[in-house]
Amino acid sequence: MPTEPSLPHPELLAAIPRLRRYARVLTGESTRADDLVQETLARAWEKRRLWAAGTDLRAWLFTIMHNVFVNQRALARRDAQNVSLDGDEDGNAAWQIPVRAMQQTRVELMEVLREVGRLPVDQRAVLVLAAVEEMRYEEIAAVLSIPVGTVMSRLSRAREKLRRVAQAAPSEPSTLKIVK
Amino acid sequence: MNPLPLTDADLNAYVDGALAPARAADVEQVLARDAAIATRVADMRQQNSILREALDPWLSDPIPPALLDAARMPRAAVRWRRFAPYFAAAATLLLGVASGWSLRDATLEHGGTPTTFARQAALTHALYAGDVNRPVEIWAAEEKRLVTWLSKRLGFGVHAPDLNGAGFALVGGRLVAGNERPTALFMYENADKQRLSLQVRKQPPGTSDVAFRYAVEDGVGVFYWIDEVCAYALSGQLDRAQMLTIGRAVYAQLAVAETATPK
Repeated sequence: MPTEPSLPHPELLAAIPRLRRYARVLTGESTRADDLVQETLARAWEKRRLWAAGTDLRAWLFTIMHNVFVNQRALARRDAQNVSLDGDEDGNAAWQIPVRAMQQTRVELMEVLREVGRLPVDQRAVLVLAAVEEMRYEEIAAVLSIPVGTVMSRLSRAREKLRRVAQAAPSEPSTLKIVK
Repeated sequence: MNPLPLTDADLNAYVDGALAPARAADVEQVLARDAAIATRVADMRQQNSILREALDPWLSDPIPPALLDAARMPRAAVRWRRFAPYFAAAATLLLGVASGWSLRDATLEHGGTPTTFARQAALTHALYAGDVNRPVEIWAAEEKRLVTWLSKRLGFGVHAPDLNGAGFALVGGRLVAGNERPTALFMYENADKQRLSLQVRKQPPGTSDVAFRYAVEDGVGVFYWIDEVCAYALSGQLDRAQMLTIGRAVYAQLAVAETATPK
């Protein structure tokens, strides 16, 4: 007889910092990010019967977070007052680069990171999952519910954009707000 | 030789270590003779390290209490959990016993304790015993250093009992974050690669002794007991009788050790 389903609490706790980071990358803002993580954890508990014990809990949680995020964004779009989170529009006030956390504040580094904030959220997500979370392409495809080919093309576009910015990076002072 | 053409996707996959070895070798050939492509690959690698350098520090931000709460089994689920024992008891006596304890666990969770000692022990065991390559922080080869370090961190003398008599050799140990206080974990392994862990932590003052208890948490059997000084949990996926035998051996050895070193 199966025992009642549960989620491994230590692993869940261990996943929180990564979920928060990814949520901040998605939403560009830490309060909204933590709301997203909270909602994700609540969903995870609701759906805990769907988690196959022994499989990668982190990937499963990232998948849930992606779905929650997409749904929230769809609702926000319907609400005309809300600004799209896609980086194509100017502004990007929401994308606060964690400059305070950097060991050294290099102009080039700030330029590149600012440009990450300007990437469309779809490209940003793939870039961070691949480059920072070091997920395999197949895992990313599963998390985002897109084909592996799309993962690769988004990644390629994101990197190319950042590379061009880095090359063209002038040494002009950044407008990025530095929070010490 | 011209085995290519190379695509953007190839270069990205190469940087991410996602290319098949044969194709990666193709890329390396091109990198060796085409400086422009080599520069692009180096740029991508640098981008990765810049991104990590900037975003990794986020991971050590303190977790807000609301999220710690959200990681706990929600109350509704705990309530559901209360009824589980009765179904289980109807099925088997053993499960019935285990579930009786989960009823008690539920009460504790309501009381504000994040999780019970037995449950924490089982989950921690599952986390590290399942890690084939790195189940411990310090390996048994450095047992003396391990014991000294753990004793220092826990604030009292801990010992790794000798379970060779039961066929389990010490693999090593680590410090783990218990639900209330730091906990020492000793990992053991037998010839069949089955693993057992013994977790020890200091008991908060004012808690009463608990004689040998057995619980099953997520498929992990946990024998635990609490004396006036420490709480112990022996966890493993062995059958109950085996666990009991080994648990008694541990208890006997620790009792001797405790009387030998007054605290």
